[in-house]
Amino acid sequence: MRSPEPSGGNAKHANAAKQDQVFVFAGFAGLAFKPFVWLLRKEYRELVASRAWWVLLVAMGPLVGVTFISAVRTYGEASGLNGTAIGVGEAFSPLVGIWAPTFSACEVAAVFLLPFVAIRLVSGDRQSGALRIEMQHPMPAVARITAKAIVLLGGWLVASLAPLAAVALWKSYGGSVFAPELMTVAFGHVLNAGLTIALASAAAAVTEHPSTAAILTLSVTVGTWILNFVAAVQGGIWERVAGYTPPAMIAQFQHGLIRLDVVLIALALVAAGLAGAAIWLRLGVAVHRRVQESFALAACAVLVIIAASAVSPSWDLSENRMNSFPEPDERALASIRAPLGIEVHLAPEDPRRADLDRKAIAKLRRVMPAVHVRYVSATSIGLFEQSAPHYGEIWYELGGKKEMSRATTAESALETIYDLAGVTPPVENEDEMFRGHPLAVAPKGAAAVFYAIWPAAIVVGAFFIRRAHI
Amino acid sequence: MTALSDVSFSVRPGEVLGLIGPNGSGKTTLFECLGGVLPLDAGSLVHEGRPMSDRARASTLFYLPDAIVPWPAQTVRWAIDFTLGFFNGRHHLREEVVDRLDIHPLLDATIGSLSKGQRKRALLAIGLLMPQPLLLADEPFDGLDLRQSRDVAQTLRSYASAGRTMFLSIHQIKDAARVCDRFVLLSGGSIRGEGTLDELASLAATRGASPTGDLEEVFLALT
Repeated sequence: MRSPEPSGGNAKHANAAKQDQVFVFAGFAGLAFKPFVWLLRKEYRELVASRAWWVLLVAMGPLVGVTFISAVRTYGEASGLNGTAIGVGEAFSPLVGIWAPTFSACEVAAVFLLPFVAIRLVSGDRQSGALRIEMQHPMPAVARITAKAIVLLGGWLVASLAPLAAVALWKSYGGSVFAPELMTVAFGHVLNAGLTIALASAAAAVTEHPSTAAILTLSVTVGTWILNFVAAVQGGIWERVAGYTPPAMIAQFQHGLIRLDVVLIALALVAAGLAGAAIWLRLGVAVHRRVQESFALAACAVLVIIAASAVSPSWDLSENRMNSFPEPDERALASIRAPLGIEVHLAPEDPRRADLDRKAIAKLRRVMPAVHVRYVSATSIGLFEQSAPHYGEIWYELGGKKEMSRATTAESALETIYDLAGVTPPVENEDEMFRGHPLAVAPKGAAAVFYAIWPAAIVVGAFFIRRAHI
Repeated sequence: MTALSDVSFSVRPGEVLGLIGPNGSGKTTLFECLGGVLPLDAGSLVHEGRPMSDRARASTLFYLPDAIVPWPAQTVRWAIDFTLGFFNGRHHLREEVVDRLDIHPLLDATIGSLSKGQRKRALLAIGLLMPQPLLLADEPFDGLDLRQSRDVAQTLRSYASAGRTMFLSIHQIKDAARVCDRFVLLSGGSIRGEGTLDELASLAATRGASPTGDLEEVFLALT
């Protein structure tokens, strides 16, 4: 209610109107921001009250412990006492030897534990009836789901302290830490957690019951595994699509590679999942309209994903440049402007094809402006094609000239391309070669940290933090 | 299945309007539609002659659902603070409402640990503290004992007399008769009558009911 406006002259009226405008503006900004802060506080308290989150935190310790201890042991054994790493540098890269396996615990937690935390936070409001109160605020549903996503991501970052403890332990052993590659791995897992949160939120918003949401979320996860399997068997378009599933995406980050298309597609999927959740949290909107909006959202997401898949920049942040050719080779390849055609006569399941893809084709795609690869095979496993006349051949075509090779190594591919392009192979710089970081140590204290101290700290923390909030 | 059809009635500022009807008559469905938590197939809310937008509805009415246990792990104190902050509610009434509904002893208990009646009072406090001028409360006396029902009825009436409009869904006729100024009778998803007790009694008399002026008789005659 407003009190009657005081009477007065024109100047007084103008002043009052001006003050009113200021008040309205400030009030609007305050009203828009304050409820969101309240919502964040509420979601934080709900997360702290959630047993699922504390279970996730407790489980992270042993999960990271198992993978880290095993990785350090293997790394130590491979390093040998006073062993040198010349020639096997890649094997002694902490990226592959330590961080990839250690952080794989995050992948397990993101698939099997995090969805339940997210579902609890989203479904909880619906189950308890809190949603019917909160949704009467004119705040957009997207803002409500964003508040949940922010808090869930915060909760995930707290869980990520376990692998960070592994980094600290590794440092204390005298291990090498190359920050860019470590950050890349961590970023990949945060992105994966974002995907899980978005998927679980959407599932929780669409379904009536949390258990149905859990089944739906796990079904999608299993679906991506099936897609990867089909891609491995069938190749072709399946292989391309499977390249954007969470496991494939994480594998790239674990190799220290950041591909902009992968990041954009992951962000598009996160946005689509959260927007889908927002659509279905609007209980006051007719179901048929929510279905229409969901289809429109899916269509937009597909368009964005298709557009993003055409984006090519990528950054190899691994210390040993495992996703790149040596720098002199990259400079030489970048100078070749003609499109390169590669015809590979290898079946999708033939290990040589995976070898060629990883060691040569993926690296070529990153430096050459136009690389067109065509796979030719009559079967998926290639076992019965070995005697076929052209099986195993890899044809390179550049500037109208063709050359065939059967080797799947990077060196062979480079040699053939240089030959076709008439380019003199650059001289290898021995000084720039990655020599590796061998470290023959036992994972001292790791078991105590991850199997005893971490779980105990979480339990004690849960006791005090929950008591402080409830 | 049509839950509600031909439902039309008016709410007057500062009154306590009772929505009464047998179980399954559509009272909660009607409230959920009005509160915007259930979709409407057709119809509109009109305020001062103009249809209300969703935003206008959100600033005009607050719907307090029945049988909910919101934020079960949080304390009553925090739930009140949260709803006051989130909806920018009537902060100045906080202590008064807490006193009148006698929820001081419950403030540090979690909502999930409360009995049905205690929870009802805590939620009513939240409803009364909301900024909207019209409060829709579904079954505000459900779970309350006789003394609490009387106290709550008195509290609701006092806030109504201070200018707050109340629209209460009540299935206990005696409770409705005690607190409401006017009534909307709902049965089978449609309105069977609207007005004061006298107006409804007159309407019931035309259908052969005895002119006792008793709400139960009127209810039975019209539904």
